Amino acid sequence: MAQAPISTHLPPDTKPTKASIAYGHRALPKLNEELRSEDLTTRQKALMALCDLMHDPEYVYQAIDIGCLESLKALLKDINDLVRIKATEVLYIMAIHTMGRDGLLKHDIIRALSFLLNDANPICRENLHKVYKLLALLPSGAQGILNSGLIPSLVWKLQKEQGAIQELILDTLASCLRVDATEALGSRVVPFLKQQLLSGSHSIRAKAACTLMAVSIPWQGKKQVWQYGVIPILVQLLKDDVDEVQANAAGALMFATVTTEGKYAALEAEAISPLLDLLCSPTNKVRLNATKALTMLAEAPEGRRALQSHVHTFRALEKEASEATMRRVAQIAIRVIEGKP
Amino acid sequence: MASLLTDRTSRAVNTYTYTSRPRALPCQRRRYRDNFLQPEEEPMRYGNIMYDRRVIRGNTYALQTGQLLFNFDLEVKPMLDVLVGKTIEQSLLEVMEEEELANLQAMQYAYEEIQNIELAEVQRLEEQERRHREEKERRKHQQWEIVNKHKETSQKIAARAFAQRYLADLLPSVFSSLRDSGYFYDPIERDIEIGFLPWLMNEVEKTMEYSMVGRTVLDMLIREVVEKRLSMYENKEDKHQSLRPEDEHGGPGAMRDQPVSYDFQEQSLSHTQRPLLDRDDLPRMSYDGRPSQERKYMEEGELLGQSEETAIRKSLGKEELQ
Repeated sequence: MAQAPISTHLPPDTKPTKASIAYGHRALPKLNEELRSEDLTTRQKALMALCDLMHDPEYVYQAIDIGCLESLKALLKDINDLVRIKATEVLYIMAIHTMGRDGLLKHDIIRALSFLLNDANPICRENLHKVYKLLALLPSGAQGILNSGLIPSLVWKLQKEQGAIQELILDTLASCLRVDATEALGSRVVPFLKQQLLSGSHSIRAKAACTLMAVSIPWQGKKQVWQYGVIPILVQLLKDDVDEVQANAAGALMFATVTTEGKYAALEAEAISPLLDLLCSPTNKVRLNATKALTMLAEAPEGRRALQSHVHTFRALEKEASEATMRRVAQIAIRVIEGKP
Repeated sequence: MASLLTDRTSRAVNTYTYTSRPRALPCQRRRYRDNFLQPEEEPMRYGNIMYDRRVIRGNTYALQTGQLLFNFDLEVKPMLDVLVGKTIEQSLLEVMEEEELANLQAMQYAYEEIQNIELAEVQRLEEQERRHREEKERRKHQQWEIVNKHKETSQKIAARAFAQRYLADLLPSVFSSLRDSGYFYDPIERDIEIGFLPWLMNEVEKTMEYSMVGRTVLDMLIREVVEKRLSMYENKEDKHQSLRPEDEHGGPGAMRDQPVSYDFQEQSLSHTQRPLLDRDDLPRMSYDGRPSQERKYMEEGELLGQSEETAIRKSLGKEELQ
């Protein structure tokens, strides 16, 4: 039978690497103090504990409230690798939650993190880019990243980094460029992306095409995309195996062919037949983007002539369309093809 | 547990409610099991409970001998409950978190698709609008140019027609005005006008002057003759006549050069002829110019008409002679 008196020995420490978490609302303040301690082990253990706690949004809110972020910022400059890795991981987990993102933006974490862009440790850099990626999903976050002038360095890093980090940077750039692309266009992002389009990994191709799509939204971007001869490569990517790559390539084409020069470049690269093939694709995004791209091309007289024989495909699409967007897009395409100037 | 209750109820004065603050128990009750069982546990404290004989577990076939510490199965249940529960809760949380993230991402994806499509549509329409506008501008500009050219051409034609008409009138008017100013002259006419006529006039003047001079000379001759005759006649008369009371007449008459004889002749005639004499003085003083000569002729004519017939006839006769 269990009895009230308990053993004099402390319970066995199951996780020596983690700091013990105090009960209730004392947990975070205690951890905060431990973060500022001089002892390395204490700091590390506190960080590990913090990592676990930050999955809970309530703890996130409390952490930001009591000013954990300041201690974390100080820890970012720590000499020890593990401390930095864990600190960035904590920030990453915090950035998953909206409150966390708001707090990160308010406390100017972006600039503090930017000092770690050239960090030696790859895991640290990966976490850092994960934080940036999540921050960039928020419009104010993207604006914050733009304001801190990180875009040129990010574009530069795009070339230097490899693998997973590259993908993260591509995602970050895609989100930031949707807000304002002028700085990036000035730092030659289009040639870099052109190289990425031919890379081996399909996820990199997909993400590079996605970033190109974001780049070709502003007029300056469209001009640059046409100038650097990216359109033929995009047409080639339309025949790619991966759906995501096809969809993003069609999307980039859709934006790049708004201008007259883009239209004629695409027509010269014979974009119409691959795009027509894409109309039968299973993925919704692919069909949408392909239809839109064909609509753009149908505005040119040569395009219209070529597409007039394929109007029935569009009509079939319109009938089968499950959602309003697809229907509307197909209707617009039919109207453009058959309309008289 | 029982001891606890008795301890609590013994303090009936200070009852325990939810508002009462925690307070330390006054008596020092046994806290640790170690104090109670210490001598017995010491050798077995760090032993594995799995092999501890004193623990009862469900699957032991061994007989329960000796002191029993605790029944494993019964004791472990609540602990297991808590452990498993917490683990499952934690894993559920993590799975939910990931599911939430996946959901969010899917929603974001769909939203992005639609956003992209709409954006592309907007840009296409913008571009179309711009193209149409530019086309319209170009056409308007072209039309404007055409209209301008039309206007200019018509203006040019009108200007040319007007200029032609104006100049058509100009030429004859120029010629007529020049002709009027005398720039076109017949050289023979001019020559006659410039050369011949003045000469002719000169010659006519000269001829007339000659005749005048001739007449004057003739008059002088006649006068001289008449005066001589008069003086001769007077000489004769003086001889016949005695003193006359009209010496005074001779006085003024003597002052004069030529018409002296004539005056005598007049005085001898009548007193009524004095105004005539006076009149005669003035023209005689000036021998210049034709009008004086003409007047002289007239007066001479009068005088001669008024004088006696004999003198007139004499002069006339003299004239005829010359």
